[in-house]
Amino acid sequence: MEVIKAWNFLKGYVIIKVEGLTLERFLNLAATRDIYLWDINRIGHTILEMKVTIEGFRALKEIVKRVGCRVEIIDKRGLPFIIYRLKHRKMLAFGFLLFLGIIIFLSSLIWNIEIIGNERVKTEDIMKILEKEDIKNGIIKYKIDKDYTKHLLLNEFDTFSFLSVEIKGTKLIIEVKEQDLPPEKIHTDTPCNIVAAKKGVIVKAIARNGKALVRKGDVVKKGQILITGLISDEYSEEQILVHADGEVLAKTVYNYRIDEPIVKAVKEETGRVYERRELKIGQKGVQFFKGEIPYADYIEEVKEVKFFDMDMDLPIKILIHQFKEVEKKEIKQNIDFLKQSTHIKAIEELNKQLPQNAQIESKDVKHYIKGGILSTYATLEVIEDIGEKIIINID
Amino acid sequence: MKNRMENFKYNISEALELPKDVVLDLPKITMIGNIQLNISNHKGIVEYTQEILRINSSIGIIKVTGNSMELKTILSEEIIVKGNIEKIEIYS
Repeated sequence: MEVIKAWNFLKGYVIIKVEGLTLERFLNLAATRDIYLWDINRIGHTILEMKVTIEGFRALKEIVKRVGCRVEIIDKRGLPFIIYRLKHRKMLAFGFLLFLGIIIFLSSLIWNIEIIGNERVKTEDIMKILEKEDIKNGIIKYKIDKDYTKHLLLNEFDTFSFLSVEIKGTKLIIEVKEQDLPPEKIHTDTPCNIVAAKKGVIVKAIARNGKALVRKGDVVKKGQILITGLISDEYSEEQILVHADGEVLAKTVYNYRIDEPIVKAVKEETGRVYERRELKIGQKGVQFFKGEIPYADYIEEVKEVKFFDMDMDLPIKILIHQFKEVEKKEIKQNIDFLKQSTHIKAIEELNKQLPQNAQIESKDVKHYIKGGILSTYATLEVIEDIGEKIIINID
Repeated sequence: MKNRMENFKYNISEALELPKDVVLDLPKITMIGNIQLNISNHKGIVEYTQEILRINSSIGIIKVTGNSMELKTILSEEIIVKGNIEKIEIYS
């Protein structure tokens, strides 16, 4: 029935009052002529009130003549009448159009540029490049050539392995993935030295080009020249500069230490929660207090109330601060178990530090207990290539 | 003669399970609780007030009594009455 009501509203209808003596005849005649009448109500002895469509009302005129009753329009309803009335209120229509125009205009601007995923390259640097291309807050979003911007940024920064430019509503989202920075390639014609990147004991030094200055068993410091590209002849003064190349394998040591108290203070939630609400408009916030926090020890958690269950970034936020009461407890941990867990943790940490092609020579883990603290020392001896090419400056 | 014809129609509709309101040209009266009444296949309204509604049909006059009754729709084949319906009488 709602559908019919909506349809009638769109088509427009009138509420009429019919006054006469033989109103049943009026209804029957209307029914036989397929004039749709609805919500007929008798409001007086000789008066009926009913609703009829606009076309129906026109067709009723003939019946009215035949039956001999009086018809009076009480109300006109529906879209056609609203439009008719609006025609006489030009300023309102103008205001409505203006409003629509402003909405469309404002939603076609870029209000926010978000750059996700950059770690080494600074956001400001990317912004600067974008600004040069006239991409900044407040421009019309249809002007942005996404493919062009993408290629521009990829060309500008070689560290990006992946880049996507996306416009979501009024937000420009640039998502980047940085690849590991490749070591700076030095052209094979450029003279260079190979120096130690870290300290270590030389295991093997193979010079493919240039002259090795270190031998097996030498202890080298960071920055020491291992293979030189400067070859001098005993018999002549002349020095030849070459592009030094080769492998220098050295034994290096990695250390890691973890201190872990044997008696550990653990915070346990008691289940009691105290809430505070905060209204945040932009950067400014107002907290609503209901007295002091009634717990001595607590953890604070902040949650955001989502409006309409949508993923929107609104400038107005309602935050709920939850204060969870905690009880501090001291737990004495099993030493053997603790040793094992710190051992694993230390090795894991060391593995993260190791370069990719390193070979582990030996592993050593020691535990000391002193003043209720378990210290774990992990030492890894590793054989790796410590050579690093550095251009010789000819001055 | 007419009676025999009616009998024949009745038997046919029984045998073939045809709806009798169609075959025998009878009004079909449907009530939803006591708040709505649909009468299809009627032959016009005789009287309508908020308390009494009389409708002509092939079986005679159907008199509906109630209070604050309102005609929701009138079409040539159906009448829908809304309101508090108390009594239905058929005067054949």
